[in-house]
Amino acid sequence: MRGRIPLLTVCTLLVATLLSACTDDGDGGGERVRLRVLASPDLAVLAPLLDELADATGVELDLDRRPDAETRLAAARTGYDLAWLSSDRYLRLRDRESVHGLQRTPTMTSPVVIGLALDTARALRADVPGGHLTWADIADAAATGTVRFGMADPRNAGSGLAALVGVATAAAGTGAALRTEDVSCDRLRGFRSGQTLTAATSPDLVDSYAAHQDRADALIAYESDLLALNASGRLKEKLEIVRPEDGTVLSDFPILLLDPSRRAAYDKVTEWLRRDDVQERIMRDTRRRPVSATVTRDAPLRAPIGNALYFPDRLAVVERLLADYGDPDRRTAGQVVFLLDFSGSMRGARMAALREAFAGLSGADSSSTGKFTRFYQGERLTVVRFGGRVLEERTITVTGPGDLRELTDTVARGGYGDATAVWSALDHGYRTAAHALAADPDRPLSVVLMTDGENNAGLSYAQFVRRYEALPDAARDVSTYPVHFGEADTAALQRAAAKTGGRMVDADDSSLSEAFKEIRGCH
Amino acid sequence: MPANRPAPPEPRLTVTRPTRGRLRRALAVALPLPVVGLVLLMASGHLLLPLQKVVTIEAKMASKRDFFEDPEVERLLLKHGFRVRITRMGSREIANQDIKGYDVVFPSGQPAADLITRERAAADRPVTTYRPFVSPIVLATYREYAEALRGNGVARLQRGSGGQSLYYTLDMEKFLALTRGGKTWDGIGIARYGVDNGNKVLAQSSDICESNSGGTYLGLVAFVEHENDAPDTLPEAERLARDIKPLLVEQGLPSAEKAETYLSADGKGISPIAVIYEHQFLAHQIAYEAEHGTPDSERVLLYPSTRIDTEPQLVALTRDGDRLGELITSDLELQHRAMELGFRVRDTRSDATSVQLKEFLGERDIPAPVTSADDTKAVLPRLPLLERMIQIVGDCPPAEGAE
Repeated sequence: MRGRIPLLTVCTLLVATLLSACTDDGDGGGERVRLRVLASPDLAVLAPLLDELADATGVELDLDRRPDAETRLAAARTGYDLAWLSSDRYLRLRDRESVHGLQRTPTMTSPVVIGLALDTARALRADVPGGHLTWADIADAAATGTVRFGMADPRNAGSGLAALVGVATAAAGTGAALRTEDVSCDRLRGFRSGQTLTAATSPDLVDSYAAHQDRADALIAYESDLLALNASGRLKEKLEIVRPEDGTVLSDFPILLLDPSRRAAYDKVTEWLRRDDVQERIMRDTRRRPVSATVTRDAPLRAPIGNALYFPDRLAVVERLLADYGDPDRRTAGQVVFLLDFSGSMRGARMAALREAFAGLSGADSSSTGKFTRFYQGERLTVVRFGGRVLEERTITVTGPGDLRELTDTVARGGYGDATAVWSALDHGYRTAAHALAADPDRPLSVVLMTDGENNAGLSYAQFVRRYEALPDAARDVSTYPVHFGEADTAALQRAAAKTGGRMVDADDSSLSEAFKEIRGCH
Repeated sequence: MPANRPAPPEPRLTVTRPTRGRLRRALAVALPLPVVGLVLLMASGHLLLPLQKVVTIEAKMASKRDFFEDPEVERLLLKHGFRVRITRMGSREIANQDIKGYDVVFPSGQPAADLITRERAAADRPVTTYRPFVSPIVLATYREYAEALRGNGVARLQRGSGGQSLYYTLDMEKFLALTRGGKTWDGIGIARYGVDNGNKVLAQSSDICESNSGGTYLGLVAFVEHENDAPDTLPEAERLARDIKPLLVEQGLPSAEKAETYLSADGKGISPIAVIYEHQFLAHQIAYEAEHGTPDSERVLLYPSTRIDTEPQLVALTRDGDRLGELITSDLELQHRAMELGFRVRDTRSDATSVQLKEFLGERDIPAPVTSADDTKAVLPRLPLLERMIQIVGDCPPAEGAE
């Protein structure tokens, strides 16, 4: 039979080849190749396109969608030819050696943004000059209970991780990529106190929101998911899409070539996906932004995305954020015991500074860091005023502005002591802490000790230490964060911090407000 | 620059395959039918005689695939019997990974090429390198950002030939001082130019561990911060690397493709100052002008006051690779096309390369950059020192063959 190909077949083939001329790569004609793809659930929406891809390229993609696709390490990726994720950032940090050097092709982009119910959006805007909302404004509103939001679990979902990093970067307020020291204290408790919905993946989160629209008035997700949800008819009220000014994180949905022997098929797939006509289809089907600069974008996708923040390049930073985030189903509100020096030397300007600091933490501080570090819904706050002895103790749980007023009133009250019993006060603080932990062991707790003078009454430091050592384990684990002010004894305060696992801050370097903010969320 | 561009239509008949003899015979018989197709192919310049052999060159390259993936370059190469299959990776990666099975590798600059040529020389298998063009490292940005820098006395507008200038000269020393001082864009008053941005003032580069542009920018920063001198000794280089590290790592996790990110529709938000090559910017302006009839006056270039050129080197590893290297350094059509893609073409027969590029831009009413022979030129430290600095700044694993 060799060489005896029927004339008509040859002619037909030739004409077909010459006319189409650009689909077949010449390595096996119509032979179909099937690739196993580890895919993130965000790719489900592309399913209708895959048949066309197969027809055009002869490559069938078998998408295996896994909730943990974006965090799977090399060992759990065996057996897959490609990976198609919403983002490979986590892998680039966690699994640097094995993903670096892989052929990588971005296929579309979408920023993580927030969708707000119209009333909520209006209320938030009213408080913000210029009306441009930031993550700090969202955190502020979450802390007061004005915003209740849903967000996917950052330990699995690229959108959740991007949001978490975005919010944390805004909270640090340095304008640079997060460093380990920026996340040593958890500044996101106020933000997280507003989270009422979660899910393992972005698509599940969207479903959850659609099913429980009464439980949240905001949704943090990919822009594409929010646009699709708005168009789906599943919402009683559409969400207004807000792209926070202070920190966009853009995902670029890369395809990674895991098995280099599949290179030829990979090239065909990626070439096809990046053709302008296909990019346009993807944009229509997914509402994600095309990677091709020559495709004309649909109107909603022309909105500027804000400034991309610098994404951290240290795994330790991300792991710390994830650990602090913990299980989103768990309650995260903490308790702080403030031990405040009300000796005579605090009269005047120093007391004014203290009251200003408390007012700031109660919501008056309109700076970005102030919005992240303010007192938040569900948080318990104990204020102990002391001089030569404890003068007053008051504990509130924040449920609304009234509670915070009660707290500031306590601080505003006069009544000064004539001596400074620093260690007796700290001892008192630990008794209060021990009681609180016995009643509510899951609530994280820390002690803040603010003083402007040397100890001249009550217990000595050595006596305090003896009593501290005798406390139950849980109470001994509570750290003390001394705030040094005026003539306080630096060495003694540092000793106390070191003993209890805390850290001293010096208010004389900045201000009392800044010092309190610096140790917010430390535990 | 899309990473993967659809291939131009090509005559698939010509691929060397065992079936060729059969096809040739069949073609003779079937000629009357596909003749229309052939005529079309001839008209588009794609015609290859079925007898001519097309060699597929296996190549590894980084940003210089911009040249090889250009449809016109692909067409010209095919005319000479070459098709190039490109595996993409950063230049330093190219040097670090196995090059077996490749005909050419084309790192974007000298350091990675040196790593390879040294290693090959040591193994007694010397290679030839070809240097078809050069392109300076630049900081590509947007008008508001350039103007904010200018307002702070950190950049000045180049007065060039015709039109609204697209080029600024950036005082590198002052620029780096802003980064060192922790200044943010908001902090230097960018609001006056209609932009809000709380991020630190810095230039984003590609991964220092992987890319030539990242490593070269490191070399530039080191040179400027070392009083316009490259370090000479290892202790000096190590000290300097630690000193400049904060200037280079605050951008965090680098994105893979700086030029693509910068040139994307969302570039102003995600990559407002990007370290790229001049040719990438000029190619954009040339393409933009062709489509819109006017240059893109929003995207502008900052030329560092201390200049640094990069010289991509095509390293030929096989005889076919050598033929390709010869071709791209001698063929006038390919050289002309390189110029049309924004490269400064090295022409051994004349030194008028910049003049040609300038004329070419001028014909299209695209302002041309003014580069003066008086500019300070940065030099990179010797290879082992640069390698050590890259490892310190980027926490990168050591490269092969650096010692």
